[in-house]
Formats: sequence, C-alpha cells, structure tokens
Amino acid sequence: MATAEVLAPLDPPGGQPSARRRGPLSPLVRYLLLRLALLIPMIWVLVTMVFVLMRVIGDPIQAALGGRLTAEQIAERKADAGLDRPILTQYWEYISGLFRGDFGTTLTDNRKVSDILVVNGAATLELAFWSLLVAFAVGIPLGRLAARYRDRVPDVLLRLFSILVYAAPVFFVGLLLKLAFTPFGWPSSGRASIATELTLQDVHPRTNIMIVDAILWGDPALIGDVLKHAMLPAIALGLLTGGVFLRLVRVNLLQTLRMDYVTAARARGISERRVMNKHAFRNALVPVVTVMGMQVALLLGGAILTETTFEWKGLGYQLSEYLIRRDFLAVQGIVTVIALIVGAMSFLIDVIVAFVDPRVRF
Amino acid sequence: MSIRLPGVVTQSHGLQRFMLLLGFGLVFLFVFVAIFAPWLAPYDFNADRAGGVVFGTQQGPSADHWFGTTVGGTDVLSRVIYGARTAVEVIVLAVVLSGVVGVPLGLVSGYLGGWLDRVLVLVMDALYAFPSLLLAIVVSIVLSGGNSSAFGGILAAAISITVVFVPQYYRVIRNATLSVKAEPYVDAAKVVGVRTPRILRKHIFSNVSSSLPVIGTLNASEAILTLAGLGFLGFGIEPSAAAEWGYDLNKALPDASSGVWWTGVFPGLAIVLIVLGATLVGESLNDILNPLLRTRGADTSEADQAEIEREFDTLRSAHGRPQAASLGPDTESKTESSEEKRVAALSLTDLAVSFRTDAGQVRAVKGISFDVAPGEVVAVVGESGSGKSVSSRAVLGLLPSTAEVSGSARLGDRDLLGLSNRSLRPLRGDRVSMVFQEPATALNPVYTVGWQIIEGLQAHRKISKKAARARAVELLEMVGMPDPEERVGYYPHQLSGGQKQRVVIAMAIACDPDVIIADEPTTALDVTVQASILELLLSLRERLGTAIVLITHNMGVVADMADRVVVMYRGSIVEQAPARELFATPRHPYTRALLDAVPHLGRSHGPGLVDPGNDVVLRVDDLVVEFPGRLGQPAFRAVDHVSLEIRKGEVLGLVGESGSGKSTVGRTAVGLQQPTSGTIDVSGHRVSGLSDRQLRTMRSRFGFVFQDPASSLNPRMSIGQCIAEPLHVQTDMTQSQIDTKVAELLDSVELGGGYAERFPHELSGGQRQRVSLARALSLDPDLLIADEPTSALDVSVQARVLELFGELQQRLQFACLFISHDLAVVDTLANRVAVMQHGRLVEIGDREQVLGHPQEEYTQRLIAAVPVPDPLEQARRRAARATIA
Repeated sequence: MATAEVLAPLDPPGGQPSARRRGPLSPLVRYLLLRLALLIPMIWVLVTMVFVLMRVIGDPIQAALGGRLTAEQIAERKADAGLDRPILTQYWEYISGLFRGDFGTTLTDNRKVSDILVVNGAATLELAFWSLLVAFAVGIPLGRLAARYRDRVPDVLLRLFSILVYAAPVFFVGLLLKLAFTPFGWPSSGRASIATELTLQDVHPRTNIMIVDAILWGDPALIGDVLKHAMLPAIALGLLTGGVFLRLVRVNLLQTLRMDYVTAARARGISERRVMNKHAFRNALVPVVTVMGMQVALLLGGAILTETTFEWKGLGYQLSEYLIRRDFLAVQGIVTVIALIVGAMSFLIDVIVAFVDPRVRF
Repeated sequence: MSIRLPGVVTQSHGLQRFMLLLGFGLVFLFVFVAIFAPWLAPYDFNADRAGGVVFGTQQGPSADHWFGTTVGGTDVLSRVIYGARTAVEVIVLAVVLSGVVGVPLGLVSGYLGGWLDRVLVLVMDALYAFPSLLLAIVVSIVLSGGNSSAFGGILAAAISITVVFVPQYYRVIRNATLSVKAEPYVDAAKVVGVRTPRILRKHIFSNVSSSLPVIGTLNASEAILTLAGLGFLGFGIEPSAAAEWGYDLNKALPDASSGVWWTGVFPGLAIVLIVLGATLVGESLNDILNPLLRTRGADTSEADQAEIEREFDTLRSAHGRPQAASLGPDTESKTESSEEKRVAALSLTDLAVSFRTDAGQVRAVKGISFDVAPGEVVAVVGESGSGKSVSSRAVLGLLPSTAEVSGSARLGDRDLLGLSNRSLRPLRGDRVSMVFQEPATALNPVYTVGWQIIEGLQAHRKISKKAARARAVELLEMVGMPDPEERVGYYPHQLSGGQKQRVVIAMAIACDPDVIIADEPTTALDVTVQASILELLLSLRERLGTAIVLITHNMGVVADMADRVVVMYRGSIVEQAPARELFATPRHPYTRALLDAVPHLGRSHGPGLVDPGNDVVLRVDDLVVEFPGRLGQPAFRAVDHVSLEIRKGEVLGLVGESGSGKSTVGRTAVGLQQPTSGTIDVSGHRVSGLSDRQLRTMRSRFGFVFQDPASSLNPRMSIGQCIAEPLHVQTDMTQSQIDTKVAELLDSVELGGGYAERFPHELSGGQRQRVSLARALSLDPDLLIADEPTSALDVSVQARVLELFGELQQRLQFACLFISHDLAVVDTLANRVAVMQHGRLVEIGDREQVLGHPQEEYTQRLIAAVPVPDPLEQARRRAARATIA
C-alpha cells in the first residue's frame, strides 16, 4: 500500500495566488468543514461496503453455529438477531446503530463490540503508539541522512535497508526476533507477564493501556515488565513503517532541496544546517504527513499480523479469532470500527496539514 | 516490457544498474524455480515419506533434507520450491487482473470526469484507505463461501489481491491521465476533431503507460506480501492444494520459542528475496524513468543549441565582415576594464565553468572577463545556452556539485572562486546578493515574508528579533510595498507576482550589498509590473550606490536600465560596450543580428488594412465565459461581453496582460471551451453551443498553434504522424496522398521531408513551432488561432518564425487571431489590434491607430510600459511615462 505513495509524491496543495479573506468563515474553518463534508460519503461507502460484504458471505448464524444447533434453534437465533427481516430494514438498523455507538454484539461469545473496542482497541492503540515511536526514530533521521548523501554510500546502504525491511513480512521479522531473543529469556508473547496482568486488573481508573495502567499503579518492576513485552512487537511493526517513512522523507527532501527557494536561501547566506532544517525539511513535511496518514491503514493491517505473531490481544488479534470462528457479526462490528478509525485519522491528518502549510490556512 | 528493458539498462549507470540487474536476477531465479518446481524439488510438497521411509518431524538440516523437515514431517526445501510456484502464479494473475480492471477505469474516469469520475474516486479512495490485508481477507472469505474450500485456490487468492490493488492502478493512471489531459497536444488533437477513443489510445494511454512497469513490479511485491499475510492468518489457499510460504511461517511460529529455526527461516527468506527482487526492479525503473527524480539537465537541448548556432552563422554571413567575426573577448574593452579595475565592485577574470555529464565535459562558460563598478548597471545579454546565468551562479558558488569552475571572481580584494562553502556563506546575501527570475518559487511558501527577510538579516548581523522586524518593515517600505506594517506578516501566496518580486528585492538589499545579481528579474512579470520593478531597481541604485549585474534576454530592458552591456554567445563574450554605443554602433555581427531580430514597437511598417469587402471569417458576438467558482466562491468571469470580427486574409492581434482573458477568447473560438453566453460564427456557421460531435465536421475550418512548442506535440508520435493526424481524422485521403501532403507541408514551413521520421524531442523549439504551424495548416483552414506562438523562443529564432508566419499568411490568406502579450510582435504582423483587460475589450482598431495613437488610458499605459530596444528613445519614453502615471 505504501509504495505507490512513496514513489509518486503528492503535489503540494494550492499554487493559485492569493485567495483573499472572503465570507463570514475564515479559510481554515471553511477548509476543515469541506474536509469533514468529504469525509461523510467516504465513511458511508466504507460502512456500506462492510455491510454488503458481510451479507454476501451468507447467513452469519448458519456460518458460526451451523452443525452445533438444530435447524429450529438456528431459526430462533436468527429471529433474535433480527436476521430474518428484509435486508433494507437490517441496513437501517445497522446504520442507525452506528449513530448510537452500537456496533452490534458478537454471536459466539455475546460480547458487545463497543466493549471489544474499549479493551482490545486500547491494546492496539498502545502497539500503534510504540511502533510509531520506533518508526519515527528510524525513518526521519535516516531519511534525512539518505537525502543528504544522495547517491553516495550512506544513501545506497539506507535504501537497501529500507527495501529489506519492507520486503520482510512483519511476521517473519517477528519470528527472527523471537529466535534471537527467547534464548535470553526475553518475553516474546503477550502484553505483560501473567502476574503483572493480574495485578493491573485492580487499577482504578483502568485504561486498558498497559503502560498507563502500570504507571498509575506506580511499581517500576511492572512498568519494566510492560516495556519489555512491548519491545519486540514495536520493533517488528515499527521497522516496517519506519522503512516507508525513510523513503518518504528521502524522496520529498530531495524534491524540496532542488526548489528555487532553497537556492535563494543559500544565496542569502543562510547556513547549510538551517537551509536543511527550516527550508527543505519543513516543506517536505507537507506531503510526508499526508502519506503518513495513509500509513495508518498499513499500520492497522500490519497490526493484525503483528498481534497474531506476538499474541498481543488487540483488535487485529481479536478480529482474526472471530474470523476463524466465522463470527461475522463480530467481524462486521470490528471492521466497521476500523473503517471509522481510518476516517477519523484522515481528518486528523488534514488538520495537521493545515497547520504545517499556510497555503491551506489563508 | 521486454523490448524496453535493454534501453532501460543502458540508461542506467553504476549502482543503479547493479540494483536493477540484481533485481532482475532474483526475479528470474524465482520464475525459473516456479516453472521447474517438480524437477527441482526432491519430494512432493505434502509428502511426509519417501519410499516408505517417514521423514520425521522437525528434523534439522541434513544431506537428505537440506532445509530440514517441518512440524508436519514434510521437507522444507520442497515446500519452499513449490511455494515459489504458488507465489508466482498468484502474482502474475493478480497483477494482470488488477491492471486490466484498474487501467481502463483510471483512463476513462480521468479523461471524462463528471459524476462517473466522482463516484469512482469516492469508492476507490474508500477501498484504498481501508487496511488492504483486511480487505483481502474479507474478499477471500466471500469467494470461498465462508469456509476455505479449495475453490479455485489460486484464482481466489489472486482475486482477493486484485480487489486490493485495483484502486492503486486506478489512482496512478487517473492522476497521470489528468496531467496528460492538460497537455497542449491533447488540446491540439481535440481542435482537429480527433474522437475520444483515439485520444485515449494514441495520446493519453501511450504517454501514461510508461508508468505501468513501475506500478506493476511494485504491486507484484506487495501482492506477495499480501498473499503471505493471508496464508499466515489462515485465509490463503487450502494447505492441501498448494504449498504457501505464509502458511508455513504460521506453522513455524511455535517452533521459534523452542529453537527450531529452519522451519521458519527458509520460507521467510524466500519471501524476502522475491519481494526484494521485484522492489529493486520497480524502484530502479522508477529512478530511471521518473523525470522528477532525474538530475536536472542543461536548460537547452542540443537541437536548440544547434539552431541558435545556425541562425548565428546565417546572420554572420549576411552581415559579416571577416575581421569582426572572431569570437574571442573584445580586446579594446579589456584595456578599458583594466583601468577600472581599482574601483570595480566585482571583477570576473577568465571565468570558465564546465559540467561533468554522462556525455563527458560540457563547457558552459569559456573564460569570460568583465567588471562592475559601484553604482553601475551592467547588463549581460544572450540567448538560451549562452552561459549568462551559469556564470552569475558560479560567482556565489551556487552551482551543483558536477560543475567545475576556474578563473577568478574578485569582490573587492577577495577572490570568491575557490572559497569553501563555509567561507563563502558570510558573503552571500551580505556583500553579493541575488534576485531571481521567478518570485513565486524563490520565496518559501510556508513562512511569512517578514520571517524570511528577518532570517536573512540575522544570518549576517547581530540584531534582535524586534529590531530585525522593524528593519524588515522599513525594507518593504523602501521597495514600495503598500501597507508594509501588515504585509510583513503575509505568506507569499497572499501577494501578487509583482509584490513577491518586491519582497525578493527587499531581501537582496537587506544587508546593503556591494553587488546585486539580478537574473531575469522581470521575465515572469507583466509588462506594466516589469516597468515598475525596473524603476525600483534604478532608484535603489541611485540611493544605495549598489552595483547591479542584470542578466536578461530582453533588449528593451537592457536599453532601459544598463550603463554597460556584455553580449554573450555560447559561453563567450562577443562584445562589451557602453549601452548607447552598443545600440548605436554594434561592432560584432552577432550583436547587430540580435538587435535586428528584436521587434521594435512603433518602428515596423506592418501590414495595412485588408479589403473591407472580404468575407467575415470569425465573428464573436457578445461573448461571456465564466468558470464556476469553488465551493462558496462566486463564478470567475474570464471573458466579459467581448465582440470582434476577423475577415479573410486579416490578422487581428489580441493583446493583454496575464489573466486578461485573451487566451480564453481563442480557446472558445475553436470550441475547446464552451461560452456562457454570446455566439461565435466561423465562415457563417454557428459553432458556439454545438456538441463535440456536431462540431467535428466544422473542425477542418480552423487551426490552432499553441504557445509551448515543447508540449504541443505528442512526444510519442513522429513529426510525420503529428502533421498527418488531422488528415487522417478529417479526410478520406489514402496513406500515400497523406505522405505527399505531409512532405509539402514540411516544405512550406522550411523543414525538409527528412523531418517526418523524427520525434519532437529531437527538434529545437523553433523547429517544433514550425511543425505546429504545419499541422495547423494541414487542412487549409479559414481561420488560424495562434496563442503566443513565439513567446517561448529566443529572439533570433522568433524573428525567423514570425517571418515565415507572415509569408504563409500572405500566401494562403487565412484569417488569423494572433494572441500575444508582446506588443512589438503584434506590431510587426497584425492588420488590426484588440486590447483586453480583466476580460473586457478595452480598445480595438487599426494597428497604427491602436498602437500609435491609443485612445484608452489602459492602452496608453500598456504601450508606455513596453521598453524599446533603443536607450535614447527609451529615456524619452521613461520621461513621458512619468507624466501618464
């Protein structure tokens, strides 16, 4: 998903001269409202797609419970779940449920999807946070280094590195990490040791984000245990995303470095370090941020694999469990939630872009 | 692809080539293994025994099992080999399928636009934003009916992956289509009535398709990863049906904790290597093919160089006196300059610049010497490729690292050349500063102009932020920025082009430099804005006593500004002299030819009026064209109630500054743009309001010549094909008749028949514009619209093209709407002149009357602002202009 974006950097927005302040709304507000308005059809398409696909699969009750229950019991369960009603009525139920924050209930273990979101979503959020940390730490400095030494040894090595981390599936990297670290007794599955998890059951208020819970509890040993567990999954997923960031930063920096305003800044006697930081890098950030936003999808996709590899009980792990159990009501709920997260992220990115690029604001 | 690859390989070099070849090697290795899997693999992928002997589970690598055995007791090596077969099959299918679906969708959606495009974009963006692996899982479940039966295993996996990648093809192809669609050669095809399917095929697809190998290979590598991910999660191909690396890795995961490494490492490495191969191929192709990533070449092509040289030779033989024909630096001026040396602000001696390129050393500047005294304006003039910009950048050390510079550039008592970047930096912007050609790109868009001025100040002076800001406001005031207190906080995009250039100048004078190098400072600006910027530069010279090196191709600007002129030709100085002397008695034949080639407003004896009894060919009546505004913005009215007529054999010059709507009038006249209201008749037939289909039969009545010769010819069609296209589309001529006609047309624009086989990139700008002219005239049109046909050409080339144009017009007697911003050009060939401003027709009438005795105040201002190539006359005009303004 990343490659096409890395290779075809987006055009910077704008280009047309000065739109003077007009109308009662500031341009920033108008821009954000417009973005929000564009988001609605996108989310609608996504959730409708999920609904349609889930109905195409067939009867969810039959798929999940067929063979274990009698035909009558199945019919009863169907009526309970409202699945015997016309498809449009079900669609209406589904959509109006979304507005109430009701994503449905799982078939196999009768959990509310919103509960899954609170518990497992928190785990995925935590994993995403750690791996983004790794990705930024790897991608940005190395990308700048590669751009600076374009076509020389560091650049070539870094590009090979970025292709390698991209070429290695996250579960293979996970497997290698496990092979390398388990001999030293390093924890390589789960979010914390069982003892820690049991202790943290009693934290109030409980956030389900292990590191926050551990800090709230205040025991350094627990914090260390949580961090240790997070390290391998964060590296596996972070390297994947970091490789993409590296190339993204490199390509966009190379493009801004050849802009006239960079030459102009040099001609004014601005120091090379400042030219790099203030003129080239800041401008390169606009497309970088936009594409990073799209990486959220990659991150979520990677999270499914990473979570399965490391038994990290997040949304992806839970989703693949339900998929194996053919619990399609659960799948529908979780996938809908993911669609909403993707939508929300893309709006968040628009906001960030507005703050990086004044042409959007004025 | 196989035909292109050798070319691609030869275009690459060094490390790039190594990576490309490594990639190909890996890909071919896996394809080979895939094809010959049954012969290469020692056992079947599902066999756990051979000859009745059970392999045993989780056996380490041995002579019988090189890669060991799995937890299921099968041979790892055999599974890896058969896995390659599965992977290659799925990928080839997936890439082909997604290309077959995505490419046409992208083409049609991008080209046709409208609601179809909007809906497709929405759906594709939604698909694209969604986690791809998740999508593939859901689709694979849908396809296999909810339980992973062996439903066409490979095909199901391929389709799941296809759904994921269609949006990528769609997006890339749609974007490419959108940008190609805006190219003038697509308009050129539309003007002659080429049908949409042909445009899509011949003009758009052929140009878009160059990106396909890149997306194809890159998607292949992503497809492998997706397939592996599906297999890993257990949603891939049924394990009994095919060997699959991802599935094997999943099974190997528990082994990792118990130290069994071979079950996971080998299939994992296989994935890494095949993805590495495909990615290396894709990225190398992209590096080589993507013009965005290519290092910037010379500004002018070899063909352009050759053209200027040819013009030079013909002009020299026409004017030539043998003793003056030598190219070396002028000896007289050298003695003159040595007297000034003591006071020179900047002094160049034997400055030479050469670039290392793949084709070897290219000498851009061949040893030039000149001085600038404090308070003096020295103009460096020359056509493209003369080395005028390169030499000025060399002074500040701003050339790319491939440049080699020798000679000396003394600033006071210091030689700038040979200084390291570190020691040069304090001098840049402080003692020598630069003004750039394009103010829109010379300012950083993400900072306010005040921030950028302050940054420059603080780089050279110990000055507080507050004091620097005060100084920035003062500077903006000095360069005539209205309301400087407020505008200091503006971002560049909030200012007009002229105001931006004022900011650039403010930055240049911020530290009171000894020398300002102004590189084409007004070329990107309208003529009235140009006049005020030149005024500003002169007044700054008076007030600050700064020496100015003015690099320009515009002889009018030279006459207006310069004390002394340095004429450059192909990297050497051919003549330098005080301005008045140079214009009055040019000594070198090149200078003389250059001055002769410059059209001079008010001095030409252009054509008179045509017979008023001639038929009216173009009648534009009360034309209004509006472009819809973006959400919440009012519509923009580009053309506002314009009426005009052109008769047979008549040239109407339509002049105006940028944004005046002059091009829109031309585009509307040939149906490239629909009018909002008003009518257009060509030879008595109504053309406005017709659909494309209805208009098609009318198309043979008009031709169109576009501004940019580089982009108005399809780069993938030969010159002969370009000229023949209107004939193919509009006539029933046989191929041999068409060939004859093309040869005739090429002859008529003074290009030999040999040009028919060449491609546009092999031609110079002037030659390409001749080809455009030949194409526009191929159907013997009644009406020719020429939109700035010569503004991208050098003056000597422009002179020849205009001459040819005039001859053809006289001979063929077509009516012509000649659109130009250059009043002097219009003055040489128009019978009548129309002036536009802000979409309105300000004045229309006989050439002599409009350009000689303008009635309207705007026309007067416009004409007064045009600098003429004569210092004495220009001084008079400058004085006169002061009274108008």
